[in-house]
Amino acid sequence: MSYLNGLRLHFAGKFQANVSTVNNDPGHFDTSAFQASYQTMQGPKMNPPNGWFNPEGDATFRMLGCAITTAWTPDGAVTDDPVLGCSVADSDRTVPAKMVDLDPEQQLVSEIWGLEIRIADSEGNTLMRADFLPTGFIDIWDRGGDSAGGGDNNAGATYQSVLHNVQWDDVSHSPFLTELRQTAQATGRLSIKFNVDAINMHFGSPDFMCGRVVGTIGPYLPGEPLHLVLGRQFVATADPNVAASFFAPAGSINHFPAAVDPVAGLIYLDLGNALLCVEPGSGPADVGDLTLAVYNPFATPPSPAGSLVPLGVIPASGFRGYVSNTGWYAETAGIVVLPLSPAQLQLVQSSPLVLTGNAGVVISEALNGCFVRADTFVYRMSPGDHTDIDVYATQFGAPLAGVALSFTLDSSQLQTNTFTPPYIMASPPVATPADALRFGPTATTDANGKATLSVDAGDPGAARVFPGGESSIDGQVYGIRPAFADAILNAEPINQWNFVSFLLWSGYDAPAKPTWTDVQPILQQYANLYPSMLRFLNLADYDSIKANAELMTLAFSLDVSDPNSMPVTRDLSPAKRKMILAWLQDPLPGAVPVPSRTDGAEPPVPPPGAGPPAAAKGGKAAAAARRLILQSK
Amino acid sequence: MIHVRRELIAGLEGPAPDPAAVRASLQSAIKLEHATIPLYLYALYSLDEAKNGEICAIIESVVVEEMLHMTLAANTLNALGGSPVIDGPGFLPTYPGPLPGGVQAELTATLAPFSIDKQLPTFLTIEEPEHPVDYPKLEAGADLTIGQFYAAIAAAIAKLGDGAFVDPPRNQVGPDLMRESVVVIDVATATQAIQTIVDQGEGTSTSPLEVVGNGYAHYYRYMQIKEGHVLEPTGHGPAPQDEYAYDGPAIPFDSTGVYPAPTNPGPYPPGSAQAVANDNFNYAYTSLLGVLHALFNGAATSAQMDTAIGLMMSLKGQAKAMMSGVPNPAVTIGPTFEYQATNPANGS
Repeated sequence: MSYLNGLRLHFAGKFQANVSTVNNDPGHFDTSAFQASYQTMQGPKMNPPNGWFNPEGDATFRMLGCAITTAWTPDGAVTDDPVLGCSVADSDRTVPAKMVDLDPEQQLVSEIWGLEIRIADSEGNTLMRADFLPTGFIDIWDRGGDSAGGGDNNAGATYQSVLHNVQWDDVSHSPFLTELRQTAQATGRLSIKFNVDAINMHFGSPDFMCGRVVGTIGPYLPGEPLHLVLGRQFVATADPNVAASFFAPAGSINHFPAAVDPVAGLIYLDLGNALLCVEPGSGPADVGDLTLAVYNPFATPPSPAGSLVPLGVIPASGFRGYVSNTGWYAETAGIVVLPLSPAQLQLVQSSPLVLTGNAGVVISEALNGCFVRADTFVYRMSPGDHTDIDVYATQFGAPLAGVALSFTLDSSQLQTNTFTPPYIMASPPVATPADALRFGPTATTDANGKATLSVDAGDPGAARVFPGGESSIDGQVYGIRPAFADAILNAEPINQWNFVSFLLWSGYDAPAKPTWTDVQPILQQYANLYPSMLRFLNLADYDSIKANAELMTLAFSLDVSDPNSMPVTRDLSPAKRKMILAWLQDPLPGAVPVPSRTDGAEPPVPPPGAGPPAAAKGGKAAAAARRLILQSK
Repeated sequence: MIHVRRELIAGLEGPAPDPAAVRASLQSAIKLEHATIPLYLYALYSLDEAKNGEICAIIESVVVEEMLHMTLAANTLNALGGSPVIDGPGFLPTYPGPLPGGVQAELTATLAPFSIDKQLPTFLTIEEPEHPVDYPKLEAGADLTIGQFYAAIAAAIAKLGDGAFVDPPRNQVGPDLMRESVVVIDVATATQAIQTIVDQGEGTSTSPLEVVGNGYAHYYRYMQIKEGHVLEPTGHGPAPQDEYAYDGPAIPFDSTGVYPAPTNPGPYPPGSAQAVANDNFNYAYTSLLGVLHALFNGAATSAQMDTAIGLMMSLKGQAKAMMSGVPNPAVTIGPTFEYQATNPANGS
């Protein structure tokens, strides 16, 4: 059931994701080619590109003014409960959380680390606090209504996770929170899902690097996945006629999950990241009344087999219309609940659901109802690490037991680029050497529909060394896509974002007595990519580091889940981290070679009359445009 | 030299001081020690470290000791069974205004970028020592120097005696967490804690050197900026004023290395870029007060101290970005150091 539960609250407000953009260009990791201008703001329309649109970003992620808009129990909407005056806030006792890309060549699963979520009253007093289990976004799409591929501002995506280490204050004055606390007692955790969209990229705006966040918190129940609804999965087909930055669904509605509660006779549809907006950040565009129906597999005179049996309507207009009620999205987070009769419940158990609106507006489950996805889908591993990844198979929302799953190396969604504006050089190849990522190619689901993707990390070696050999992007990125081993179960369409991303760090043998010669190249790269660090120290300077050795030791020693952990990008391998910490104990000096400038380091000049590059639409749009799958077309 | 109102030591005089009054005075001391920190930080973060590194180092060294003084006062208060209150709206002073308990007409603390002609004289006034040899007799009803304020507290604690101290020791932030801190368990350690505050702030009557620590008292540190040179021993004597001279290496002030941050920042229009950044800052500053409150009220762990240090670093990064025009060079913002438990602030 997860957050799709009769017991839930919705919240709406702003997020801030003040990410740095110098690292958007993988070529900027080449320290021998790096120039001071890459730390400065881009020019108009990215001419020159410099450090892109937010070079001074510090990666902070904040929840701002997220009011709890509605709360629900199985009896209906809560009307008189103190929770309605509360907000969903971030931490009041730590530094802000951080938003972090997995890698410059996989920027499309940005994770949130170190986020403490609170339910707080209007004065900021904490009623509940918990840690957000880090996860990446998924299902990014062109949501904002700009049909010409509007880029990051036009994008929407979603985060689903659990809140753990939950601590409750006295909530006895709130029957709703009391019930939530009791219901969540079985796991001690809560389920959270939020949709982000309409990020602002204008540095002169008060909303710079802010966007809209609307979400839901409900109980997390035993046996549930952490980042996935074990339920009905509506999957969209890509529209081949739209120049999408990320994904444009042919039927106008994006991928979304739903869940049937057979006991209560209800179905929950999560349309929070599925409906187009009129413009970025607006309410949903009018695509007509949305009718939920089920394919009837049986001939029911006069209807032939395969006809649609309507189950309920989500009106566009009227008091509760998703268009006419301007507060609809904030108050529901896009979650719609429809009643199902016993006969309908029976029917939906084994037949695909379909949602339709105006002509051409349609999305459905796979006709065979089969769906497979990994729960956690972002991993960082060192050579020798082993990890077991839960992969869930369902059919019409029910666990699919005893089926064989297949796992395939799939780097099609990873991102590389050629030497064309705004990039300063061709980026290193991804997913090579292929044999560094070892995994069982098949696995069979258990009674709960769960199988294990077993992964062993080898050593990718120096897989991404830049020309001249003086610097590299550490490690290598890979993708593994789960599917059914039996091809007949793999119904189209396939959600392109449904795969597991890996960053495998390069093996590293630390010297017994590390010197500045060993440390400096690593810190120089961070100094280049994160100019905001200059507010504290010069990472590339021996004296500066030595003078701040105590603070550096603290920040590099913290668990990566700590919001204050350095480097904030979480891309430093444990082996190199250990070496740096050892060096900080005894900061031996050492020679630093003067970098030899590689040829071709100057930013390419766009041809006269050329418009702004796709990257001018934002970092995520740029990354999406660099996906291998597009380069092979 | 600044003075505080005599009511801050109400109940401390006489042969049998009221323990509650001593605790109240220590809470006032914590507030007073803290009140200079936003003032100094505002000036510190207004400076471009690349151009005014020496001045930054001096101001920062003073701030670190003001935090130590807060800790020493809190340790003493805890030792006497009190509970420091850090995390409330009343803890923060209002700028511009007098320092907490301060004499109104004497000094108006204003958040302003660093300047030689305005802020530095303010800092010197705050830190100006009063030599014990020159102490006027404590007249009834008269305002107190900071030195007299602490002397009155120390004297009252001595009269209370060791029996007034909580046994076993309670909620102490020791030198393992903060250098030069003193675990307060009795009159002797309380006296030592208070003497450290006074010596570091004012120096002794015979030397600008701190008794504890490795630097000059705050007044002399700031005087180096005014004189433009490091204070150094001369090897002469015997008169104290001959032993040291401001003729060491130059401490240059580069006026182009001051960000155009506002004097008397805020209030900012709701919804403006200034308000958004300022709210983020104040929310983090309020978080820091909450973390320190916990630190001083039983959570004296290295993890808690690390969290506080992390917040201090975050505040530094935020303030420097705001003041230096990041992300928008056309907009420089000064943090207002206001208590703000929600983000954005209620009403903005």
